[in-house]
Amino acid sequence: MTIATTSSYKLASARDLFALTKPRVMSLVIFTAICGLLAAPGTIHPVLGFTAILAISLGAGASAALNQWYEQDIDAVMKRTANRPLPAGRMDSETALHFGIGLAVFSVVLMGLAVNWLSAAILAFSIFFYAVVYTIWLKRSTPQNIVIGGAAGAFPPVIGWAAVTGDITLMPVLLFLVVFFWTPPHFWALALFVNSDYSKAGVPMMPVVAGRQSTRRQIAAYSVILAICAIAPFALNMTGAIYGTVAIVLSAIFAILSFRVGLSKTEEPSEMKAEKHLFSFSIFYLFALFAAVVADRIILA
Amino acid sequence: MSEIDHNKKPMSPEEQKAYQARQKQRALITAGLLFFLVVLFYLITVVKISGS
Repeated sequence: MTIATTSSYKLASARDLFALTKPRVMSLVIFTAICGLLAAPGTIHPVLGFTAILAISLGAGASAALNQWYEQDIDAVMKRTANRPLPAGRMDSETALHFGIGLAVFSVVLMGLAVNWLSAAILAFSIFFYAVVYTIWLKRSTPQNIVIGGAAGAFPPVIGWAAVTGDITLMPVLLFLVVFFWTPPHFWALALFVNSDYSKAGVPMMPVVAGRQSTRRQIAAYSVILAICAIAPFALNMTGAIYGTVAIVLSAIFAILSFRVGLSKTEEPSEMKAEKHLFSFSIFYLFALFAAVVADRIILA
Repeated sequence: MSEIDHNKKPMSPEEQKAYQARQKQRALITAGLLFFLVVLFYLITVVKISGS
């Protein structure tokens, strides 16, 4: 152990450690996990249900901490991320790494001991997928980074479901696919109007590599696949009319906004209204769709 | 075993004070979290035992 005798010694504050877990991103993870848990057939004791959500949240926080540990060089050159604890110099790299690994191990063990080992295994895989497959491998090497990396964010509802039932059926797979196919249009809409930042950081985001027009066409294409996946649970009689109505109406609006983006030719980020509308609506879309799954199950069941 | 890093400058009184304040804040939060975990594991154990 080294005694701190220097003005350059960094002792991260609790606030910075919390910021390392990307709490804003975590809110969507927690929400979809709760929805997966509530939509699953069967019941779980409230204490175990709370523990499952806590473990999923800690796992998401661990993934975010490991992501920020590895990406501190990229974060330092992007205006949006330059004030994060590591690039801003408020925390040691080693602290972030140890915090991330510790949180990851703790979340998986907690899930396994308190809930079941299937959900613990999926949680462990999702952390590995986000920290290694997405952050270390894909993000800097392919413009498809968001597509495949989006899978990491699609696991929480599956884990929530598995926490209750102890198995995986078609319904949680469809919930996974909804988040998976929602991710590219959501992030690419954002990447279109913050393109310059990603270019500066050398991240091969789709708009940087394939150009804005190609990205816009792909957003429109993904909105169609997303609509099919979102309506499938209703079409296959796995949900009732509440979810069916919400899925059909919101997926139609999502597709219309996406096709507006597909037809847009604007090059100036400040004039990209269609992209900004789609980005804002995409957040509402996911929240509303998952809330409808739960409402459908609670009200109609 | 502790060792002093002689290559680095000692902290000024203000830095020492800020450093100790952060240490204290982290210690208090860690204590709170540990207490929360004790309660959580107690409840999990009760639920598991009553369930089986």
